[in-house]
Amino acid sequence: MNVFLVETDKTGLQKFYEEIIGKFETYAPVEKFGKYDYKRVLKLSECNPDSPIETTMSVKPLFFPKTAKIMKFVEDSSGTTVSETEEDPFAGKRVILGVKHCDARGLQVLDQVYKWDYIDTDYQKRRENTIIISARCDKAGAQCFCTSLDYDVENSDAHDIRIVNGLNGKTYIQAITEKGETLLKSFSLQSTAPDVAKDEISKHYKSFEASFRLKMNYSEVNAKLQKLFDSPEFETVSSNCISCNTCAFICPTCHCFKISDEKIKDAGVRYKSYDSCNNGYFTLMAGGHNPRPVKYRRWRQRAMHKFVYYKERFGVNLCVGCGHCAISCPVNISIFDVVNQVAKV
Amino acid sequence: MDYSNQIREITSKLFADNKIDYFVGYRQNSFDDSQVPFLITDPAEIPKLVFTDKSVFNLANYLKPDHTKRKRVGLVVKGCDSRALNLMLTESQVKRENIYIIGICCEGTLDDKGQKPQNCIECVMPDPVVYDEILGTPSGKKKYTVNADIKELAEKALNERADYFEEIFAACIRCNACRHSCPLCYCAKCCIDQETSTLYNGANTTSGAMHALMTWSLHLAGRCVDCRNCEKACPSHLPLHLLHKQNENVIYENFQHHLAGMEKDDRGAFYKYSLSDPDDFIL
Repeated sequence: MNVFLVETDKTGLQKFYEEIIGKFETYAPVEKFGKYDYKRVLKLSECNPDSPIETTMSVKPLFFPKTAKIMKFVEDSSGTTVSETEEDPFAGKRVILGVKHCDARGLQVLDQVYKWDYIDTDYQKRRENTIIISARCDKAGAQCFCTSLDYDVENSDAHDIRIVNGLNGKTYIQAITEKGETLLKSFSLQSTAPDVAKDEISKHYKSFEASFRLKMNYSEVNAKLQKLFDSPEFETVSSNCISCNTCAFICPTCHCFKISDEKIKDAGVRYKSYDSCNNGYFTLMAGGHNPRPVKYRRWRQRAMHKFVYYKERFGVNLCVGCGHCAISCPVNISIFDVVNQVAKV
Repeated sequence: MDYSNQIREITSKLFADNKIDYFVGYRQNSFDDSQVPFLITDPAEIPKLVFTDKSVFNLANYLKPDHTKRKRVGLVVKGCDSRALNLMLTESQVKRENIYIIGICCEGTLDDKGQKPQNCIECVMPDPVVYDEILGTPSGKKKYTVNADIKELAEKALNERADYFEEIFAACIRCNACRHSCPLCYCAKCCIDQETSTLYNGANTTSGAMHALMTWSLHLAGRCVDCRNCEKACPSHLPLHLLHKQNENVIYENFQHHLAGMEKDDRGAFYKYSLSDPDDFIL
């Protein structure tokens, strides 16, 4: 891990944030309709980089937007003419403030699927041009369980720059990646890096890890689930699910999409938008066959993809333990409870 | 308001007499004081059932064909839930002989912050309108009041209102949680899911969200019972009641103070037509 480390305090941190907002295209958690979401900010007063633990949406929409134009088309007597859409609005250089550990980890997990098989150039470009600065995760929320899922919070390299609370009102700004270090150096900040600071950061993460209410024995759950495809428990745990798509849309790692056209007269735009395996039509094929016609099979797919299949293929767990889905679920279903109940046998 | 024990007793009896295949109630959530809809088939689970003022979700939602598949169901309903259930019965979605209804004379629910939500303060009918068994003391029908934020919105200029609604539609992520949590959205195939059709816009754009939400709002005009399941379900916390309440106000004022689901076999304002119906509110 890199050792570029700046010691500062609350006002110093505010100044650092202000400078970033002045210099870069910055996104940060902004309140709207009583919830926080990552939005473009022009002033520090508009946003709250230390928002409550839960932003409703994860940071995912800044890399994989809820809808994106794929192409434009015009139909006339000679046939259909297809043209490229205008430039990607998220392709420029930008900085995101206040990103939680789970959200940043979610991006690392998503990277695996985006660089496998088909390389999504739009996504790669957005990732390359973005610098991610962490929020000060001090205490775990009621639904957080990121530390249970093969994720070493203290030695994580999910952020480019990390902001950590120290003792006596001190705050540390720590560069984790090269991108982060270049940015900190461009601000003419001096690396102080006393050993005390490193100890304090380590202590901070120890107390952070101790604050988790939810703990899971991940390797055991994963091993058990592999053999439980036919478990009747799936029917019980999914019985009160209402088959909406909320959990998938706000999940930092769900990446399914659908294609739809918006057409007026002979011209239109083709869009790529979020889709979800909880949706009854998700696996409906031409001709009418649907391999997952009932709710529990869709829930089984969701749980197994999150905790078994992705790990098999890419070596990382798809669920990052952020708890977004449990917080926003209309009927309060928690994926933590679901997998634990299925793996209980 | 705590009817947990009574509900447990009634449910045990229903299972013992083999009157129901499953029961829909609430259980305590594992992580906070909120409650989760709870579907049981095994009488051993009965002790987990609860009912307090935190029992907010409208359980009539679990009578949709997707959930029940022609089974005999017992369920708990509050005033607003029973109105939705009444409409489902009228619209032939549920067979009366297949369900056993425990009606609660509701004293108002509490939201996450421990406050009474606006729809409970303005509730017209806290007592169940259809039931097999009733718990609590009926307090009777209340006076209908026009929502304060609807009045405020109606006084704004047209373009201000348009901007406000555009903000709402732009924040929508089209997860369809509103539709899925609404007991009266029971269509087997919803028109806004027709992705291959160019008539309906499936894209997750502002215009797509507007299309979906406005269609939804019009399909619920004169049917919405103001249980606000949709608003509680919305992950974007959008004020979705605004889309329904205006319709409700217009129908109340113009069609003999009609409110949805209050009476048995009342098919609602849009199913009746007479030449003397007022039409001056139509744009």
